[in-house]
Amino acid sequence: MKRLTALVAATLALVLTACGSSENITPEANSSSANQPVSVTDARNKKVDLKAPATKVVGLEWEIIENLITLGVQPVGVADVKGYTAWVSAGKLDGSAKDVGTRGEASVDAIVALTPDLIITTTDESPATITQLEKAAPVLVIRGADAKNAIPQMKTNLELIAQAVGKTDQAKTALAEFDQKLAEGKQKIADAGKAGTPYTMADGYKQGSTISIRMYTSGSLLGAVTNELGLKNAWTAAGDPDYGLAQTDIEGLTKLKDGEFLYIANNGDGGDVFGGDLAKNAIWKNLPFVKSGNVHRLADGIWMFGGPKSTEQFIDATVQAVTS
Amino acid sequence: MTQLTAQRPDLATAPLEPVRRVRVAGVFTIAIVAVVLLAAIHLTQGTSSVNAGDLLKLVIGQGTDNSANVLVASRLPRLLAGVLVGLALGVAGAGLQSLARNPLASPDTLGVNAGAYLAVVIFAAFGISLPTLPSGGIAFVGGLAAAVLVLSLSAGGTAGPTRLILAGSAVAMALAGVTTLLMLLYREETIGTFAWGAGTLVQTDLVAVKQMAPIVAVGIIGAMVLAPKLDILALGDDTASVLGVRVRRTRVWITLVTVLLSAAAVTVAGPVGFVGLVAPVLVRLIAPLVPGLMRHRVLLPLSGLSGILVVIASDVVLRAILGGQAGVEIPTGIMTMLVGAVVLVWLARRFRDSGPSRQQAGRAGGGLRTRRTFWIVTVSLVVLLVAALVFAMLAGDAFLRTGDIVNWINGRSGRAITYVLDTRFPRVLSAVLCGAALAIAGATVQAVCRNPLAEPGILGITGGAGVGAVVVLMAVPTAGIWLLSGVAAVAALATFALVYLVSWRGGLSSDRLVLIGVGVSSATTAIITFVIVYTDPWNISLAMTWLSGSTYGRTLPQVIPVAIALIVLTPVIVLARRELDLLSLDDDVPRILGVRLERTRLVALVGAALMTAAAVSAIGVVGFVGLVAPHAARALVGGRHARLLPIAALLGAVLVSVADSLGRTLLAPAQIPAGLLTALIGAPYFVYLLWRTRAVKL
Repeated sequence: MKRLTALVAATLALVLTACGSSENITPEANSSSANQPVSVTDARNKKVDLKAPATKVVGLEWEIIENLITLGVQPVGVADVKGYTAWVSAGKLDGSAKDVGTRGEASVDAIVALTPDLIITTTDESPATITQLEKAAPVLVIRGADAKNAIPQMKTNLELIAQAVGKTDQAKTALAEFDQKLAEGKQKIADAGKAGTPYTMADGYKQGSTISIRMYTSGSLLGAVTNELGLKNAWTAAGDPDYGLAQTDIEGLTKLKDGEFLYIANNGDGGDVFGGDLAKNAIWKNLPFVKSGNVHRLADGIWMFGGPKSTEQFIDATVQAVTS
Repeated sequence: MTQLTAQRPDLATAPLEPVRRVRVAGVFTIAIVAVVLLAAIHLTQGTSSVNAGDLLKLVIGQGTDNSANVLVASRLPRLLAGVLVGLALGVAGAGLQSLARNPLASPDTLGVNAGAYLAVVIFAAFGISLPTLPSGGIAFVGGLAAAVLVLSLSAGGTAGPTRLILAGSAVAMALAGVTTLLMLLYREETIGTFAWGAGTLVQTDLVAVKQMAPIVAVGIIGAMVLAPKLDILALGDDTASVLGVRVRRTRVWITLVTVLLSAAAVTVAGPVGFVGLVAPVLVRLIAPLVPGLMRHRVLLPLSGLSGILVVIASDVVLRAILGGQAGVEIPTGIMTMLVGAVVLVWLARRFRDSGPSRQQAGRAGGGLRTRRTFWIVTVSLVVLLVAALVFAMLAGDAFLRTGDIVNWINGRSGRAITYVLDTRFPRVLSAVLCGAALAIAGATVQAVCRNPLAEPGILGITGGAGVGAVVVLMAVPTAGIWLLSGVAAVAALATFALVYLVSWRGGLSSDRLVLIGVGVSSATTAIITFVIVYTDPWNISLAMTWLSGSTYGRTLPQVIPVAIALIVLTPVIVLARRELDLLSLDDDVPRILGVRLERTRLVALVGAALMTAAAVSAIGVVGFVGLVAPHAARALVGGRHARLLPIAALLGAVLVSVADSLGRTLLAPAQIPAGLLTALIGAPYFVYLLWRTRAVKL
């Protein structure tokens, strides 16, 4: 009982010494009155009204961060800065952004401490969390991915974000560059006589002797882009409704005919499954594209679920791999 | 304690029956033929188009290179992994059951698998990539530590099945909590270990199988060498000593050998659930027909064969029903876990209750403290709760000051503080209310089950609510809190009804209820994992939240069902406090005093189930509160429910609130789900409780 009393007393003492207030309550200055009000209808069909284009933005998914940087806006808050730096090379953070926690459960305290003008998240976030964030700042919700509509969805996401931060011109330029890159890539592939070549896009990870392979169907962003480049996706089974990803094992690859096999690996995450671990596997060695040397590891740091800039990196890498 | 009066004589005398060589050979032949047939079917299943016809052509020398490659590089590794894992776990299970003299011992129930798995995940999380062999060594150390802990908590397993199972479940839950935490924080690094964590047979090469096969061989040879001593050990320690067996040394050796086998299995395929439990049970089932089957020289290898059958059959059935693709997406361990849960329930149903010789949960008369003590404790806890509440409101990424809260209450705080406190408030409130609700539910369940170690989680009620909630979330992603709570409540009640009815055999034995509850709660974990892996395999955060409990992003409307449950159900349970006192004594006293035993029990348990469901739909699956809070309350103020209930509620509220506050601050801005921290705080306390009472047979 004595111990309990002591504990209570100690807790009370702690609480009392923490008295006072940590903020000066002053009316907030209206900093950007020069700009016009903005109204954006987001993926929830909800109108997001801003007094002026947002400048202090917090992003809770990596695609959003990349798009912000593409538009010339350095976000003030990023979910999982370390992971972003490792996985996304298309948009460089300048080091000023604060980490606001994990992508799954970002810290509301950290977000609000940044006093953002706008928070951008995806439809993967739970409605309750979005409601809560909305009390701190306007929230723009984009749909992370749509396997029925991958490329238009990626473009819509950039445009929505651009409207909210007042950078629609930059978005137009970026999308025009993207379309041009896509057309050039298509041309290069046609010039190389590779149009219509079957391809497979995959990534994989390993635990013990278990290798899980993730297939990018035509519904995935990278699958859709490769189709646009004039290649033909050899993996025809369906993936999940959002990201268009399917799972298989090494045996499942035997359904594939000759063609180009593209994959992404990351040295920070288990290394190169296809180039290393599968090298001695009898099925792998005898797959038609392995025999004919058409297996290509794309550069590290191409984010598979990113915006136009990541996708341009992917186009470059793919065109390079297929035409070389 | 409930003794296995039905089993004990078998276990003791069966090993000494003469071996009927012809019949035993017959059993072996049948088992081997069954393995060969299943293996043949197993080879025809897979994700490629290679089918039985192609393989047949291969046999007669007309096959294609393609089918030969598929056979050698995918089908055979998967089959051999299944064979090796089944063999190792089957023998390990039989060995552990003999060691513990308890048919419920297994690599799962002794925490060996959980320990080995945690060791493997630690290495994955910190990016230490080891070749298979040393990583097997790590798994061995983890598994051994867990087994030693559980065995010492349950007096080597001889303290009875309930104690063994509870010690094993608590240790496994605590270890799983740490594992989940690591996977949450190192999401990209451990992405491959989530499905693997349920045990998968997908194999890309024979490296793991080749490296682990010699270890399994050594383990099996070791077990066979020990077999005659195990026969004698079954007669009891004293008899064995008289007959010249060094009891202690034999026990140490058999522990090492069985842990070695289990760790090898985890290294190959992850923790494949409950094979070690099911395999020896199958052998025991046919033992009455074949004298001599329980001799360890026969029992151990036959359990190994039986283990192979369980693993391969699960894999064959899974792929026969859902197609070859399912063999990649759905871990085989989920299937064996479901099969294992059914067997666990079936085993538990066979236990006979040996009567009222047990220590009661409540001990309503005993341990009574003075009224003064009660009030001192109450006041202290109220103060503590207020302090915890204040701390919870202050703690977070950035620590606030009490003045901020005063401003906030008076509506004078600035925008940032107002917001932070507005969002923290529902979280804090949901932690406090759910903690109280789970504690009251736990106290009620313990009184009714007359078992101080029962709780809504262990009875499967929490898991059932979780299954309901996850299914709703997957089917109707936009579901509101009322639909979620409603379905969770219905699912919790249905699960509870199932446990209750299955446990009913001419009366309700509380030990049977606990054992069956543990089985059903394992099944619910398997189902939750199945639903998530099958419908939304990439949503790991969702999986973590629903398998471990989180207050993240709670809003006031989500707290309403718990508040209502507390307001409506607490008076009901408080009104029944005298009956609860009587129920926790024994069956006869309440009857004599005119309490309608079954009706009271049912009402109390339904109330507890509803409260649990409301809490689960608010913050997900949170364990240990219902177990630890009533226990601590009993230690503080004795077993009378008029006093026990409020104290337990206060303690539960404080526990979850503190866990939530710590979860938000320890690794900020990263957040640790409250449920995980509750397990990390609660499990050691529970282990301590078991340790303190290990001399007293429950």
